[in-house]
Amino acid sequence: MTTVLVAGFAISIPRIPILEESARNLFLHVPMWFTMMTMFAVGFFFSVKFLMSENLRDDQKASAATMVGIVFGVCGLLTGSLWARFTWGAWWILSEPKMNLAAMSMLLFVAYFLLRTAFDDPKTRARISAIYNVFAVTSVPFLLYVIPRQLPSLHPGAEGNPAFSEITAPELRYIFYPAVIGFILVAMWLFTLTLRVRRVADALDVHSDNAHAHDE
Amino acid sequence: MQQVDTLTASYGDKWDGVTATTGDPTLETESAFVQMMSSNDLWPVVLGVSLIIWFILLFFVLRLERRLQQAEASMHAMGDSSTNSTNTSTPSDSPSS
Repeated sequence: MTTVLVAGFAISIPRIPILEESARNLFLHVPMWFTMMTMFAVGFFFSVKFLMSENLRDDQKASAATMVGIVFGVCGLLTGSLWARFTWGAWWILSEPKMNLAAMSMLLFVAYFLLRTAFDDPKTRARISAIYNVFAVTSVPFLLYVIPRQLPSLHPGAEGNPAFSEITAPELRYIFYPAVIGFILVAMWLFTLTLRVRRVADALDVHSDNAHAHDE
Repeated sequence: MQQVDTLTASYGDKWDGVTATTGDPTLETESAFVQMMSSNDLWPVVLGVSLIIWFILLFFVLRLERRLQQAEASMHAMGDSSTNSTNTSTPSDSPSS
């Protein structure tokens, strides 16, 4: 990651009149979405696994991965908003479908955590939230990829616009792809940390409940 | 380095916001923050984007650290209470007796 970051700031990039040096945000803003999608995919995998195994540890993994995915999604939204202000002229462009649908997909996953607070029984909570997560994750490709590509947009790859693969200079790719891998590895580390903290907290809750039951 | 401009032809008429940033005379009427961010070929925007990412990730790690501290505190509290209950329930087991 250090190499990627240093190289991302240090290399010469093709001069693009509209973007100027902010084209380097390709190494920072875009990997946020790749990382978010990866973590949501991990959450999806463990939600499906929970529905088959009914093992609560899979539910813990699904919620930890989704939490980390949301963190990277928020990074993507905020960095995109800043970049938009100084290239497109506004912090938020209401007619820009990808921005709006990205925010909407974030809200879907915020709702996932709100849903989890509605159930006291761990098994019920895990089952309902796993089903919801499967629905939420399968809707993300449509919200972030399929629908924006059909509508007029300022983002690359939308209706009539050239796709990322057509406009990205080769020298940018040498940094971009390692940056994506690096951020995904950072996300996996955060995922394991979140999972470990959650397991300790859950084990303490169970221990505390048992102690109270024993006292009574 | 070879100058490659693959975006202007595709986006020149779409990215109207560019007129409000670099090289536009109306920039002088913008706030000091906007003027600063728009300076130096938009380098401050790259810096701002990287700082947003690292501050959010730092906040998330610090939040995990706080939860871990809470877990450790309740673990110690449980350890203390179990020691106290052992001492009160079986005083004959204590080394002093």
